[in-house]
Amino acid sequence: MDAQNNSLQEVENYMGNAVTQFQIISAAPDQTAQFYSSLFGWKISANNPLGYRQIDTGSKAGIQGGIWPAPPQAPAFVQIFVSVSDVKGAVEKAQALGAKVMIPPTMLPEGDEMAVMHDPQGMSFAVWKTAK
Amino acid sequence: MRSSPFRERLHQEFESRRSRNARYSLRAFATLLGTDHSSLSQIVRGSRRTPASQIRSWGRKLGMVPEEIAVYVATEHVPDEPTTKRQEQLRHWTAEGLALATNEIHWKMLCLVRSHRFRPDCRWIAKETASTVDQVNLALSRLLRLRLLEITRSGQWKDLTGGPLLEPEEFRRLALVRIRERAAEDGVKLNGRAKQ
Repeated sequence: MDAQNNSLQEVENYMGNAVTQFQIISAAPDQTAQFYSSLFGWKISANNPLGYRQIDTGSKAGIQGGIWPAPPQAPAFVQIFVSVSDVKGAVEKAQALGAKVMIPPTMLPEGDEMAVMHDPQGMSFAVWKTAK
Repeated sequence: MRSSPFRERLHQEFESRRSRNARYSLRAFATLLGTDHSSLSQIVRGSRRTPASQIRSWGRKLGMVPEEIAVYVATEHVPDEPTTKRQEQLRHWTAEGLALATNEIHWKMLCLVRSHRFRPDCRWIAKETASTVDQVNLALSRLLRLRLLEITRSGQWKDLTGGPLLEPEEFRRLALVRIRERAAEDGVKLNGRAKQ
């Protein structure tokens, strides 16, 4: 097991933990989608099991994103999604560093795995593992 | 003690005068400002707030421009950062509690999860619960955050309320207890008062 963990760590050390996605949290997701698609020509599609508004910026430079509804009273904000090879391990490490878990490791309908946390300064971010 | 930029400014002014004249006293500073030594001492120590009328009057006596005085008056009325944070958390948890208390979608989703017809597709859940996909996704996030629902590594949705399916009122009670527990972790007591 240790050998396997070491090996995963080596892969991550080599590949790094890239920010692979941004997510806009908005109390008015339709209006947000409308605004950014009008402004930048982003294509936004929610044709997936989560009904998740995926943003295609139309560019290979930079990252792609998504839009998620904000809970009542929450301000609009942007989250970053950081790619990890082991979501549970990343959550444990983040907790040891003072992060607070909002959504524990969760498998999404299309097989991606994610967890949402608050860093020690209260900023919300997610760790993410793409489905194979 | 609440931080006060005007108090800090008064302190700087006093120290600046004292650096030029070691015998300059707080009493002399109070006389300059047209107040008594005791009141000024309390304000400088932070045991008393500075009324807006005094900020205006003392600001003019210290040669501040009206815009600077206006900023100090305004900052005295803006809640400090810890207070703002507590208010935001209280607002957040109250809204979360209200959403759970007034919207049956959370309970309906758990009913569906237990059904043999269940499909892990938020669009399908939206149709079944006569809701929008956004309402389903908000409820999904909330159920996950409150550990009332789990999506396992095999992609299975699990109702974590345990035992037989709860009645709506029982579910509401359990969910609101979870809200209260999570709010308490943030230092918020959901009895109308934030923890000091």
